Amino acid sequence: MISEEQQDQAALHVLGLLSAAEAAAFESALSASAELRDFVRELREAAADVALSAPSQAPPASLKQRIMRGITTETLAPVSLQRASFGWVPWAIAAGLIVFCGVLALDRARLERELTDARAADPLMQTAFFTLAPSAPAPADAKATVAWEPGRQSGVIRISNLPAPQPGRDYQLWAVDAAHKDPISAGVIRVDKNGIAQIRFKPVEKVEHVKAFAISLEREGGVPKKEGPILLVGSA
Amino acid sequence: MAEEAAQIADREMIERIGRGDQSAFGALYDRLSRPLYSLALRMLGDAGDAQDALQDVFLQIWSRAATYNPEQSTVFSWTVLLTRSRVIDRLRARKRRLRIVDSATGDEDADVADASTMESAADTADKNDEAARVRSVLNNLPSEQREAIELAFFGHLTHHEIAARLGEPLGTIKARIRRGLLKLRERLRT
Repeated sequence: MISEEQQDQAALHVLGLLSAAEAAAFESALSASAELRDFVRELREAAADVALSAPSQAPPASLKQRIMRGITTETLAPVSLQRASFGWVPWAIAAGLIVFCGVLALDRARLERELTDARAADPLMQTAFFTLAPSAPAPADAKATVAWEPGRQSGVIRISNLPAPQPGRDYQLWAVDAAHKDPISAGVIRVDKNGIAQIRFKPVEKVEHVKAFAISLEREGGVPKKEGPILLVGSA
Repeated sequence: MAEEAAQIADREMIERIGRGDQSAFGALYDRLSRPLYSLALRMLGDAGDAQDALQDVFLQIWSRAATYNPEQSTVFSWTVLLTRSRVIDRLRARKRRLRIVDSATGDEDADVADASTMESAADTADKNDEAARVRSVLNNLPSEQREAIELAFFGHLTHHEIAARLGEPLGTIKARIRRGLLKLRERLRT
């Protein structure tokens, strides 16, 4: 007989809501009771079905190609080992080289995966910070900080002490990129009545090597190419 | 019966994937990528992030297929849990990034206007019978039970956070989640 308390724990367990200590205790109870394991399995199936209630959307076709390429790289080494079964010396040397290359490729794939995991776990590994200082006609105490993630091609900007522009004008954020002649627009920035904004942005073009971020005063709605005066600018 | 046949086919695909069969992997991708991507998109609210998460999930499926245990869950449930887990990792990393910006700018309490998460995921028409049935069952749960389950499942809120948000005692939230899942289980089995 499964108690109500255990049923509560089971429901929280399948949704991943138990703390580490609670989960460990529940896992221990699970290993001791086949009835509880069956109950959890059924709840797990019900919980998984909740996923089907999300609005249905297909991923882009290019994603499958990307993923298939990823697993092909990981498969290189075992394939090469099969070929190494020939006994002749020249073949063995060639096969050895293939295995070596395969191992290198496998190692590279593993390292890339570890790096991706490490980046996911530690945002500081992939974030560059820019402090933007004011230049006339911006108020002397205006300031902004940009956290830029090159891998995601997106960032967050926080602005303070920058009063809202006069009607018909907007502030616009720009990424100054070494590979582009002109700054790349990262969108219009709107501050609140206290002169504060905290906004996630994405430049309209790929930014290869960002040197600086700048905010200019532009026509309302923004412009494709910078026209107005720079109010804040800063490099990493 | 069709569902059972699909589960058997899924298990066979996973076994073949565990032996390094790329064509089986491609077939499983074709079968599951849409619901898993939809889940990731609903939770993350950003197509790029959802695609990255789905890539992580399928690479995990490729490398862990041999460890799949059919006694613990169906292939579908296993992959849904993998997806939720990877998405939650990304949500946590996103929160950490925002905290870093907040601390760098000296404003720990500021809210971030996140254009990408404010965009609603495209709600395309769905012809999938199973999905329609799950939606129907969910919609017929008492609203407070459905709300608690959706906040936990899609919103990645703990039961403590749900209780605080809804202003209800913790025990009430636990009971709503339990009763809701039990009803869901019963109604989906019939």
